[in-house]
Amino acid sequence: MTAGFQFDLCNRNRLLESKGVQGASVTKTGTTIAGLVFKDGVVLGADTRSTSGSTVADKNCEKIHFIAPNIYCCGAGTAADTENVTGMISSSLDLHRYATGRESRVVTAMTMLKSHLFRYQGYVSAALVLGGVDFRGPHLFTVYPHGSTDALPFCTMGSGSLNAMAVFEAGYKDDLTREEAVELVANAIKAGIYNDLGSGSNVDICVITKGKVDYLRNHEYLQNKTYQRRHPVTYGKGTTKVTKEKIIPLSELTIQDGDATAMDTS
Amino acid sequence: MAAPPLQLHTPASIGPASGPGDIKSRPAWSPYDDNGGTCVAVAGSDYCIVAASTRLSTGFSILTRDCSKLFQISEQVYIASAGFQADIRALQKMLQTRNVMYQHIHRKPMSASALAQLLGNNLYYKRFFPYFTWNLCVGLDPEGKGSVYTYDPVGSFERVGYSCQGSGKDLIQPVLDNQLKAASPLVLPSENWMTALPLEQAQDLVRDAFVSAGERDIYTGDCVEILTITTGGVHRETLDLKKD
Amino acid sequence: MFKAALHSGSGKPRRRATVSSPHKPAGRKLLEWRGRIDQHFGYGSSEASRSLYLEDGGQYAALLQAELEQPVSLGTTIIAASYAGGVVLGADSRTTTGNYIANRVTDKITPLAENVYICRSGSAADTQAISAYVQWFLQQHAVDLDRHVSVKTAAKLAQTMVYQNKNMLQAGLIIAGWDKQGGGSVHTVPLGGTLLQVPYSIGGSGSAYITGLCDKLWRPHMTQQECHEFVVKAVTHAMARDGSSGGCIRTVTISKDGVKRDFLPHTRVPIAYGEMQQPMSVGA
Repeated sequence: MTAGFQFDLCNRNRLLESKGVQGASVTKTGTTIAGLVFKDGVVLGADTRSTSGSTVADKNCEKIHFIAPNIYCCGAGTAADTENVTGMISSSLDLHRYATGRESRVVTAMTMLKSHLFRYQGYVSAALVLGGVDFRGPHLFTVYPHGSTDALPFCTMGSGSLNAMAVFEAGYKDDLTREEAVELVANAIKAGIYNDLGSGSNVDICVITKGKVDYLRNHEYLQNKTYQRRHPVTYGKGTTKVTKEKIIPLSELTIQDGDATAMDTS
Repeated sequence: MAAPPLQLHTPASIGPASGPGDIKSRPAWSPYDDNGGTCVAVAGSDYCIVAASTRLSTGFSILTRDCSKLFQISEQVYIASAGFQADIRALQKMLQTRNVMYQHIHRKPMSASALAQLLGNNLYYKRFFPYFTWNLCVGLDPEGKGSVYTYDPVGSFERVGYSCQGSGKDLIQPVLDNQLKAASPLVLPSENWMTALPLEQAQDLVRDAFVSAGERDIYTGDCVEILTITTGGVHRETLDLKKD
Repeated sequence: MFKAALHSGSGKPRRRATVSSPHKPAGRKLLEWRGRIDQHFGYGSSEASRSLYLEDGGQYAALLQAELEQPVSLGTTIIAASYAGGVVLGADSRTTTGNYIANRVTDKITPLAENVYICRSGSAADTQAISAYVQWFLQQHAVDLDRHVSVKTAAKLAQTMVYQNKNMLQAGLIIAGWDKQGGGSVHTVPLGGTLLQVPYSIGGSGSAYITGLCDKLWRPHMTQQECHEFVVKAVTHAMARDGSSGGCIRTVTISKDGVKRDFLPHTRVPIAYGEMQQPMSVGA
């Protein structure tokens, strides 16, 4: 077994496609994600909706992924790609830290991500906002699916990126305080949640400062139901017909340990 | 086939997309758009409920959060439409004209059944360049019973006890089937398909259907407009939905 | 859909190889590079799998999606010009995905070595990858030589990568720098992988608007200041006419005295002929 993807079925799929068969659909995180550098660190933000076509697949998913203890990454694009790419780079950095005994650097994560994405020429559709603090200070990058990167003081990605960027362009200043930065990022994400149909539900925030990470899951919980049913549907006893009944008293049960088998460690 | 000639080009020599080779790169222009939205109607023995969400959207953006999809024809007869807003407006304008003509000729307001047939005819008239609309025709029949007619875009229609159209249809229709306990239209002899639910419980169901569809359908949201038609008159209420 | 536009606004898909280019006879080192490049690019991709990513959303959703999924490109104005004793490189700072400005303060003038810089146009991903490889090769090479690399070597390395992977790359490059042998020199590598040494070169979508201007204004043996003014003026006029170029102007001046970077914020970019007077501020 070699590393990487299996391409065995590509030719078959191409043939099927030419005969008019539709390919499988994937879960996209039609997303708003954003990042901002402030006085002492980096703030990352994300909405929590994931969509499959026009239906909401997950109302409260996590889009801010762990990369290293001092580095986190927001993902937009195909959900499977963002999750696997960030997971892969996270474990590579883990090994790298064991080998070097040093804290991971944000540029290392960025370089690993971009070379992986460039290798797959945009077919791995992960659009990322990578942020972290290392010994050289706070860093923020955007990584595009084709493998290009930008280093910026504030950035947005996903289908709601235009809405979020409008808020950033209006409100960004150098050296914001932590509170101001969190508020600005939350507002940017909310602009995406309310105005972009691909984004929705709640605001997740991650604040990374020197030696400390605050992962504020559902920092703003926005979406309560507007109506509770007055005549809820109840299914009374007997709705499902009972055809057979057998009761075993708990006292008659004995718990038995199975025969221990050695774990295969070969 | 011979290989195409080699071309020399500098970055500046590549212009905007043109020529047959580029057709795949962008979707061709279409006269249609889908502006989303959901309509529900429920007929009872002495009432009729019709409701529609008010969000109007295109693609991933919201055009307005407050656009009524309900259109009044007579005192107790309404049309609810989802689909392409421009076609909905064209259809409504045409129906209104025909309604005025009808009243001049017959000296009475149009009944639900008359409007139902008129709408069906006019949708089928555009069989080969259809109105991109999904309609419900709603009102009370001469006996004061609720009546709901449901359509496809090219004019197939039937009278039913309840129906749902638009982007939230896949989510709401099965719930209505379950809750309103209508017999299958395939059962013979045909059974009464009107719901026995009292008005208040039917309203409760409709409200819940919209709130729940708003959770999972990205094109249903912002607000829902609910009309209850009885012999006593028409009652209008609105209920807020999620704005995301 | 995934590989489009060299310049923003055009949805032109990347042309796949129709005629395979014969391998050039190459030295040991070249073969080694090729091996590395193959390792990097050579995998069995499939056109079929792209269909998996397309979903049946609304037409406009598809358009928006297509727009945001387009590769990031440097619809650009880049320029490098030689003067008596050195070179000046210049570029605008706009990076686009479709009609959206992904970065308005991009640095398109990337160092390849201490004394050699490159102006990048085309796909951002491709040109960043090429630059990274050339940087890496030159670093090794500088250790072997134990002195500064020559501009020509750097240009040839970049050219080799573009030429040998022309089917995979969208890159228009200008390499310029200063070395003892050749003084200040400018090398251009357009799309197919040609290598030309020229007195000055312009590139990117904006260059079409300023060919005449540059032919008129460039003269040999300019002073450093004259050359810098020439570069800024050229980029200004391109930015005024080309929608895909804009933002601020970055320049790099390289001579025997070293490297000097300059930055003109968008508020101070000179107004081109026929443009409206810029308001001092918006609102109050």
